Amino acid sequence: MPNVEKENSNIKQPSEWVDLYGDYLYRYALSRLKNPEVAADCVQDTFLAGIKALDKFDGRLDIKFWLRGIMRNKIVDQIRKSIKSQTVDISQEDEALMESMWFKYSGIATTNPDPWEFNPRKQFDNKEFWAVFIECVDHLKNPIKQAFVLKMLEDKTTEEVCKVMDITPNYLWVLIHRAREQLKGILKEKWLNRDSV
Amino acid sequence: MFTCKQVSKSLQQKDYKKLPLVKRMFLQLHVKLCVFCGKFNRQVMENQDICCHYRKHEEEILEYTHPDSVLNDEHKTIIKEEIAKNLKSDLEG
Ligand SMILES: [Zn+2]
Repeated sequence: MPNVEKENSNIKQPSEWVDLYGDYLYRYALSRLKNPEVAADCVQDTFLAGIKALDKFDGRLDIKFWLRGIMRNKIVDQIRKSIKSQTVDISQEDEALMESMWFKYSGIATTNPDPWEFNPRKQFDNKEFWAVFIECVDHLKNPIKQAFVLKMLEDKTTEEVCKVMDITPNYLWVLIHRAREQLKGILKEKWLNRDSV
Repeated sequence: MFTCKQVSKSLQQKDYKKLPLVKRMFLQLHVKLCVFCGKFNRQVMENQDICCHYRKHEEEILEYTHPDSVLNDEHKTIIKEEIAKNLKSDLEG
């Protein structure tokens, strides 16, 4: 059995991981994968992979973040798997956008995006804003959500995301544009109407 | 100076905050002045800011937005059993 306790008494043993880090990792996975069963499996896979790799843990990171690092790879694997079973189809609308002169010339999907009616940067300290934001992310549909999760939340490079999703960088740019527009739309609506609900 | 396409390309590749300072300044200047891509790329930057802040504070945000999203007891029991099994096989192997 790997016993890292000898080197660092702060490190928790795997038998304690579920109670200590289970909920944290589960929430993280659920926010990206949506499906509770898949998220729970992801947590389990993470712990088992963590036990296997425990002798490589050098104690530089909090073990919680080390485990999260393992789980981020599991999440990417999970998305890759679901894309293999259901390849990404390009909608006609997106196809037309990519073919448009303007997009080809400038990489700009629209010259006149709807404005925000409030400044989102001013709301960063507001808990309510983030509650609405998360709700909006939940609303995104695949493949827009997958693109958003990988590129914007997991902060993967364009190359990595395109490889995982088997799409071109141009199409990724379009998907992220769709995500941005939808998030802005729902956020705006929910945020401006939040008192009247 | 940059062209609109270079600005879009750059924002597509990377969070603008991760760019070298000089490049970032030129980019911000372009977006401020350009009548063609300004509005679009400004919103791209805005979105990057939102996501960047979210990533930094995610643990805390998820804790207060999803206090009830926790592993249920059944899952906990199963995972604990799996961990115990793996620890045991590690010991034997
Ligand atoms: Zn421009």
